[in-house]
Amino acid sequence: MSADVIERIPSDARLEMSRAGVQVIADRIGVRLLHIKGDMTDPRVIDRGFGGTDIDVLIDPAGISALHDELARWGWELYSSFRNNSSFAHAQTYFHPDWGHLDLHRRFPGIGLSDDHAFEILWADHAEARAAGVRCAVPSLTAQAVLLTLNAARAGGRGRTASLIWDALDDPARAACRALVDRLDAQVAFAAAHGELERFAHRPEYLLWKVASQGGTRTEDWLGRVRAARTLREKAVLVLRAPLVNTERLAHKLGHTPGAAEIAREFLERTARGARELIRAAGSRIRRSDEPRQVTIEDADPAPVKADDE
Amino acid sequence: MTQYRPAAEVGVIDRGDVVYVARLPQGPMIVLAGTAAVVWRAACTAGEGSVAQRAALDVDQDASAISTAVDEFLTDLVGRGLLAPIAD
Repeated sequence: MSADVIERIPSDARLEMSRAGVQVIADRIGVRLLHIKGDMTDPRVIDRGFGGTDIDVLIDPAGISALHDELARWGWELYSSFRNNSSFAHAQTYFHPDWGHLDLHRRFPGIGLSDDHAFEILWADHAEARAAGVRCAVPSLTAQAVLLTLNAARAGGRGRTASLIWDALDDPARAACRALVDRLDAQVAFAAAHGELERFAHRPEYLLWKVASQGGTRTEDWLGRVRAARTLREKAVLVLRAPLVNTERLAHKLGHTPGAAEIAREFLERTARGARELIRAAGSRIRRSDEPRQVTIEDADPAPVKADDE
Repeated sequence: MTQYRPAAEVGVIDRGDVVYVARLPQGPMIVLAGTAAVVWRAACTAGEGSVAQRAALDVDQDASAISTAVDEFLTDLVGRGLLAPIAD
């Protein structure tokens, strides 16, 4: 009779244990986490037998620095930073050779409220779950329905998650969802998930969510991010960073840290790609000069990209 | 009779045929299969008799035949920081 270390542990068991380990790390330093998505989704919200390949947590923004340091101490390596992870700069990814990937969310795309206020609202009604016997906090049922719907808005028109969730709710639950969406200032993304984005064509976030939910070129994605930026400083940073190469992503693509020549080549390709997209978009606008002026995503690029593909 | 519980900061996943346990956050994950899983459950479940006696009921063995192996196994688990004895 012995306790053996085995090499092949089922991925769902490994992920559950990984989640528990991250919670233990956070508990030790007093950082609040809300476990979101994947196997922490309450089946009353949606039951699809999530497989999942990573774990996702939403962190109290005040605890990011402390948890980052503690994760590093336990062997978690930064895989992709907030700045380079997605159009929404919402999550930072870590990798551990034994435990896999962790997505640390400082915000949830679609929520307009400030990160700290949004976290407090979600934390106030949190529920409790367990991973490998370790107590974990999860969003309330209403919040889970809202967050998964917002997540579905970025699916580029694929999947029926939003409608499945909505159809399963009774009237009081729907009213609670709408109220929470309003409190979180998440109306635009929530509408995008339900195919009602045009109601919010006047909002600064409109283009960003049009690209996120329906696809678009990288240039349109960038333009959407600039328009959605809330301050002049944020807009300026986006404009200045536009031509810069995402070296983390390039490193993952190449399988090694890129050298100066590889970064330069990517810079030129990126710039040329942006120029081609602008020329196509300008051409389509000239052809359509009689029509009302609006962004024509389909014309701009025959192969739309997901908003998360920078 | 000594009772046990998972030690503090130990993750436990019981999948019926196997039990996965790990000291967190460092790991590693350890799989307890077959009789080892039965003994883990017997150790962590309150009941009459010794751990070996409770485990024996599930593996159709005489308790006296497995008690030495069970005790050694429990000592091993405690030594690994996975199990903690509960004071009588």
